[in-house]
Amino acid sequence: MISDRGFARASAAAVSLLVAVSACEIEKAGIPPTASMVSLHGVLSASASSQVVLLERTRNGTVRMFAPPFDLADPIVTDEGVAESGALVTLTTPDGQTLTAVEDSRVRDDRKGEGIYRFSLPGSALIADGNYQLSVQTVKGETLAAETSVPEGVAVAVAEQATFDRSRDTVFFEWPKSPGARSYFVRIETPFGPRSFFTDSTRVRLPGGLRNVDLTVLPHIFIPGFPQAVTVSAVDSNYYDWFRTHNDALSGSGLVNRVRGGIGVFGSLVRLRYVEYEVVAPQTEAIAGTFNFVGTGLEAGTTPYLALHLYVESPSSRSDQGDALSGRFERRVTFTPPNEPIDGLLGTVKQGKVELSFLRNWSSTDTVEVFRGELRGDTLVGSYRGFGGIAHFVKQR
Amino acid sequence: MSNAAVGALFTLLCLLPAALLGQNSRTGVVTGRVLIRPDSGDATPAGGASVTVTGTALGTIAAADGRYRLNNVPAGASTLHVRLLGYRTVNHALRVRGGDTVVVDVTLQSEAHVLSTVRTSALPTDVETFVTRPNVATVTMGASALAGVPSIGEPDVIRTVQLLPGVVARNDFNTGLTVRGGEADQNLILIDGFPIYNPFHLGGLFSTFMDATVGGIELISGAFPARYGGRLSSVLDVRSRDDARPGVHVSADLSALAATGRVGGAFAKGRGTWSLAARRTYADAVVTAFTNNVLPYHFTDFHGRAAYALPGNWRVSFTGYSGQDVLDANFAELEADSTPSRAAEGNWAVDWGNNVFGVALAKNFGPDAQVPLFGWSLGQNATFEQRVSTSNFSTLLNVADGAFAERNQVHDFRLAGSLHAHREKHDPSLGYELATHRLRYSSSSSQTGTTDFDITQHPTSAALWIEDLWRVSSRWIVDGGLRAEALTGRDWAALSPRVTVKFLATPELAFTLGVGRATQWMQSLAGDGPLRYFDVWVASDSFTPVSAAWHWVAGVERRIPNGSVRVEGYLKHYDRVMEANWSEDPAIRGDEFFTDEGRSYGVDMIARYQPATGLGGWVSYTYGVSARSRDGVTWAPGHDRRHDLDVVGTWRLSRYRLGARFGYASGTPYTAIVGEIARRVYDPSRDRWGTGDPPIYVEPLGGPHNGARFPANHRLDLDASREFHVHGGIVAPYVSVVNAYNAKNIFIYRYDYSTDTPTRKAISQFPIVPSLGVRIDF
Repeated sequence: MISDRGFARASAAAVSLLVAVSACEIEKAGIPPTASMVSLHGVLSASASSQVVLLERTRNGTVRMFAPPFDLADPIVTDEGVAESGALVTLTTPDGQTLTAVEDSRVRDDRKGEGIYRFSLPGSALIADGNYQLSVQTVKGETLAAETSVPEGVAVAVAEQATFDRSRDTVFFEWPKSPGARSYFVRIETPFGPRSFFTDSTRVRLPGGLRNVDLTVLPHIFIPGFPQAVTVSAVDSNYYDWFRTHNDALSGSGLVNRVRGGIGVFGSLVRLRYVEYEVVAPQTEAIAGTFNFVGTGLEAGTTPYLALHLYVESPSSRSDQGDALSGRFERRVTFTPPNEPIDGLLGTVKQGKVELSFLRNWSSTDTVEVFRGELRGDTLVGSYRGFGGIAHFVKQR
Repeated sequence: MSNAAVGALFTLLCLLPAALLGQNSRTGVVTGRVLIRPDSGDATPAGGASVTVTGTALGTIAAADGRYRLNNVPAGASTLHVRLLGYRTVNHALRVRGGDTVVVDVTLQSEAHVLSTVRTSALPTDVETFVTRPNVATVTMGASALAGVPSIGEPDVIRTVQLLPGVVARNDFNTGLTVRGGEADQNLILIDGFPIYNPFHLGGLFSTFMDATVGGIELISGAFPARYGGRLSSVLDVRSRDDARPGVHVSADLSALAATGRVGGAFAKGRGTWSLAARRTYADAVVTAFTNNVLPYHFTDFHGRAAYALPGNWRVSFTGYSGQDVLDANFAELEADSTPSRAAEGNWAVDWGNNVFGVALAKNFGPDAQVPLFGWSLGQNATFEQRVSTSNFSTLLNVADGAFAERNQVHDFRLAGSLHAHREKHDPSLGYELATHRLRYSSSSSQTGTTDFDITQHPTSAALWIEDLWRVSSRWIVDGGLRAEALTGRDWAALSPRVTVKFLATPELAFTLGVGRATQWMQSLAGDGPLRYFDVWVASDSFTPVSAAWHWVAGVERRIPNGSVRVEGYLKHYDRVMEANWSEDPAIRGDEFFTDEGRSYGVDMIARYQPATGLGGWVSYTYGVSARSRDGVTWAPGHDRRHDLDVVGTWRLSRYRLGARFGYASGTPYTAIVGEIARRVYDPSRDRWGTGDPPIYVEPLGGPHNGARFPANHRLDLDASREFHVHGGIVAPYVSVVNAYNAKNIFIYRYDYSTDTPTRKAISQFPIVPSLGVRIDF
């Protein structure tokens, strides 16, 4: 989540540390459920093909949360939410039109998308500096209302492509001032989760060694071997105030909420810069480089993984820890998922012993396979946890 | 011209009049110092001792540092009569020559030596001042009374202050002082009269005051005299211990928390004293030495004190303090876990520290002294003092080597001066205070070149004050004053009257009244939470108003043999009290605080019993109600504790010292969590909502602000020590048990609404915590 007040985050960490060190849990008791509220998340995006509003209920102890594998088509249900289905969601545009959203679950064959309300309104049709009014009426008769005004600016539709050597490069971004924008939202996608922050400036620099302060363990932002998108967007005050604030862990207050009748955000965003970087770094270590699968004809025809491109992401801080590895693997293309030909990997190497986690969607939280082996000269020999057998990868010279 | 140069020049100018005053050749001067020697430990100044010349009307009261001066003592033989309740009176033969100054230092011995006792060394002062001053809402306590109070890890003067009437501790983890309903940043905390900001370690768990350096404290919890300003609630002056023993003396304390060492002594036949002390926690060193892990935290304190009686009745004193907390954590170093690798993890660094340095220069005058140019007599005696000090506080949170940094810095340079005169019916005083402040509160990333906010302030504050202690009659005493204050940055000025009155119905029974206005222009953004981890100071300026409050106090005090009972009622009305706004926009100035109205009222009681031998201690009880309001909404602040009872007892028997403290307190308000919200995140690169990567981030939803109350809590703490005399020194091992019967006192609740049966977990305050230590004194 976006860093707001550093002392506040450090303080929350101090509470947790204090509790962990000296305090004890002395009783756990059931409490009555409370009344839930309707929670709304909506952003009008000038680069989106349609506009989406998420409706769900706040947790109040009446529904057990489950966390099945996350599905982008079902972001509420598969991400521990209680979707609010069947609501009437309308959008009144600055020129007086009233649009009615259609819930995804009503039109999808797989019935995914409960709580996802979609307006057939492309971002290119959004009127800058105009006032959009959102109205929600739930099945239970609850009503919500919110407004937003879209900042000016030309939305970038397609990402620029660039290569970024983390060991020596620094990214410099500049963008034009956007009238009507309350702030600019910078976001960098990383395998460990995004790094995002607001700035009132129209320029920012991102050095290759920058760390992600949104995550407690402060991993590097730029990971060699991974494609990473960087966006800069002009946002309105609703977006800015909602995402820069948090509810304090102990008092449950602090969020700036401008949704009447409920809680959440209805804001606007114009993507001004969009670059996708191929992050690289020198590959001078023995374990770093491109390793190609080598085997018999039969093995070559059946092995799922064809090549490994490895980097030493970070050397270890302790003698009893391994170095961190990152990179990507090439996969044999199949008709069953996962079937992306290239995806990311993370791992460790310690005294020649290697462990690699093969990821899905370049995300550290989604592992599809684990390889354990050792480096013998220029050959990586090991086996997969799932697939079985022994695999040999030889370093490419 | 630098601040230091301005200070030196100003001080020289103020000292010039002193050189114009002179003495009579048929009389002489008797001056010196009165000390008390308790049954063990250092000799300490006998502030409040009565010093008279037998057969004359000449007399005075020894100052807080024990010094006295008698002018116009007839030449020839006479007797110096020194008395102090609880100590053997001393009659010292004098032979004074005309025009000469005779120095007589007197050390008083306690009445009883068979069974030594712990007493408040200031209790005799309380008795003496009972008939000479209104002393409204004031508690003084000496080092010996502070000793023996059970504590966590090692003795902490702030935690002992939390056991006094009108003072409430928020919880076990918080050394913040809530005084008669005021917030913790509303207390003027002084070290030897010099302000110190944020005198806490480890997020408020321990104070910066080392027990070995504390000579005594004075707490004024309302309607404080005009000489004090800048805070709304109270004044706590922690006085350094002056070592009156000749030679060099060493003491050490090895506790469960830290190692402390102190060295000091008197020199030049008692004209000078000095001490140096240092403390460091050692848990990090122990962890590193015996395990493969790392504890990335420690704190250090350094304290220095020196005082010297110069010729011509001048005296100079120096006080210095420096403390630092260091928390440098790299998670990769904290775990011996190589799978997955922690190699990629970065550094958290949190450093904060205080330092204070102050110089005080004073001169005592006799009855012939006059105010230059005006020729006004200063009365029987007078004291003229100039003080210069600098106080600095800084906090720096540095995450990932500059990827994010937040800092708060306060620099305070101060000049102050006063003239106190003693006359037959009046003790007039006047003084000034001039302070320049530099504050900075900023948040930025040097790596990305972005700045969230950068607030810098350079206000200057000035104050002129006047007081008069008027002994109207043998029964009526009035202490009135007026403080005029001004602040740049806001172009603000105000007058704050202060009046206290005492009526002595009998020599043992007195009724008191006090009223006064207080103002505050430095506020903390710490908020109303249960922990006080970071005080972030911001000054009033064009965006933030100056806070103000009125105090009304009424009380009755009854002296009893070896003690007293005091009951005081109070009412505080805050015209403006600043509340930190946690939703403030960092890019906007002026929304850092809400301006609330506030009211606190209640009654507190203290009954002290401190005989020469046997069991001594005190019982304090506070009933208090606090409320804050804004925009028609009223709520109870988080420190609104209705009932607070503390029973403290210490018993000295031969070489053993036993201490106990029992506390019972009703619960403080908290905000119940009534639900949770999933914070969904929008991905602008793919124009989608998705929080599956990383997993969902859930935040609590609060119910009515401070609408619930924790249950009452109670706790028994015990302390025991024994002295061994070894090669002329004292070695005293001690054991302390906090929460001796392991009471389950609730600190916070943690809620879980992710199931179909919501639950609430109670997290405790301190469980039973035994600790060992040893004190060594040579």
